[in-house]
Amino acid sequence: MYLKSLHLNRFRNYRDREVQFDAQKTIVVGNNAQGKSNLLEAVELLATLKSHRTSRDRDLVRDGDEIARVSATVKRSYGETDMAITLRKQGRRVVTRNSENLRRQMDFLGAINAVQFSSLDLDLVRGSPDTRRSWVDGLLIQLEPVYAYILQQYNNVLRQRNALLKKIRNLEENPPSRELTAQLALWDAQLAAHGSRVTRRRARVLERLAPIAQSWHQQISGETEVLEIKYAPNVARSQDDPEQVQQAFLEKIQQRRVAEQNLGTTVVGPHRDEVDLIINHTPARSYGSQGQQRTLVLALKLAELKLIEEVIGEPPLLLLDDVLAELDPNRQNQLLEAIQDRFQTIITTTHIHSFDDQWLQNSQILTVEAGEIHPFVPNI
Amino acid sequence: MIEQLQKLPGVGPKTAQRLALHILNRSEDEVQGIAQALIDAKKQVGFCQTCFHLSAQSTCEICRNRDRDSSTICVVSDSRDVIALEKTREYDGKYHVLGGVISPMDGIGPEQLHIQPLVRRASTPEVREVILAISPSVEGETTTLYLGQLLKPFTKVTRIAFGLPMGGDLEYADEVTLARALEGRRELD
Repeated sequence: MYLKSLHLNRFRNYRDREVQFDAQKTIVVGNNAQGKSNLLEAVELLATLKSHRTSRDRDLVRDGDEIARVSATVKRSYGETDMAITLRKQGRRVVTRNSENLRRQMDFLGAINAVQFSSLDLDLVRGSPDTRRSWVDGLLIQLEPVYAYILQQYNNVLRQRNALLKKIRNLEENPPSRELTAQLALWDAQLAAHGSRVTRRRARVLERLAPIAQSWHQQISGETEVLEIKYAPNVARSQDDPEQVQQAFLEKIQQRRVAEQNLGTTVVGPHRDEVDLIINHTPARSYGSQGQQRTLVLALKLAELKLIEEVIGEPPLLLLDDVLAELDPNRQNQLLEAIQDRFQTIITTTHIHSFDDQWLQNSQILTVEAGEIHPFVPNI
Repeated sequence: MIEQLQKLPGVGPKTAQRLALHILNRSEDEVQGIAQALIDAKKQVGFCQTCFHLSAQSTCEICRNRDRDSSTICVVSDSRDVIALEKTREYDGKYHVLGGVISPMDGIGPEQLHIQPLVRRASTPEVREVILAISPSVEGETTTLYLGQLLKPFTKVTRIAFGLPMGGDLEYADEVTLARALEGRRELD
């Protein structure tokens, strides 16, 4: 797929700018806080309807304005699609595809696929389980947009069940009345039904991703290290049969009944899943240097690219946010070799000189300054 | 006035402004008529004592109608659903309006809904079937499950089918609906 143009209107620090992408690689040069990342954020938003920097739409609208609009034209193997998102300081967002308003946001997903790689991604190794869960979820949403709906339903069940557990705890009746016990049983069943869908899909995607990441990791680290990605679901399952998984949920809920009622919150379910990243039988978090952790993240990102390409049948976009400079020349070259000219890549950097000449060949170079975008003119 | 009008569902600042200007341009009599109609409706319309559908009398027209089949009760979450189902003219039984769905987050448990009266109605020998017609949201599903367990000892309980809209092509159906339709598939008779 190819992102032909991107139009930012009152988005973040952009007043009104349109960018035409005319090469497979686009390098965006600029000082900090000029709008480089905002550009990539706009693409991320089109691909996932989410931003990893904020969950509030009002942050995305330019100061002093009420409405922002991000639109793009994407070329896919089946034709061109115009996508647009209208964001409001207050109120709901509206998404359109080929000028048609979509009733469900889910239908917007899947037209643009992108893998983003920023320096924040080191948190995948070092951060809390929450970071890894949202990484897997983000990938799943791109591969199977219906997962966005499944996850939303699960979170809804979770909130409702937590509200009920809190109520039970605050009533301090011990044991809780029959009426409340009966109600809780209903939410147990809902948690099991929706939770098992989330768990099964996460297991499935990690099963496919793990071998690809492993082989990349081996290649980048020079075949000295072995990476394992292990899904550690909160509710362990022996088989991938939906009924079996639901049964496992219900059993675990039964075991943790007292704890849940004392805490007043749900402790069983995929919101407590973990993804273990293991290098040479040692947890990657406690293993090795920053360089090794970077190698791991690079392998994960390359695996994401390949997996999306495999499933979608077209190479996704790659967004490199200020990350290239952090990689040593060897890893830079590995990355370049991996993407070749197949993946359209948008790269942001503060210094054009920080990477190898090979990167500059056949690249479109743009400069960003205070929300303005211009072609790059080299200083001679 | 604009602020008051904005409290109505579906009315944003612009519509509220338009409505306000329109009202100001009308004669006083006309405005009086609108205001009176609103107040009259609010004063007179209450809930049916039997099924909790909106009604100007203590028993609604549907419950009073002797031609309707009183052996089936269709359970819905609010009065809008009754109106929607009535438009189909397919159903000639009685209704029961719950007044919402179970939602602990909003502090709505079974005791906040009109469930006790429903149990009383369902346990009479006259009633032979209760049809649950509640939206398939997470909360709606939970309410359906709850009512199913509660009413089964008394009578036959069914739920309406969910699936593909009429005149729709299979290929255009979304995955969620399609999965649900597959789940609820049945043998051809």
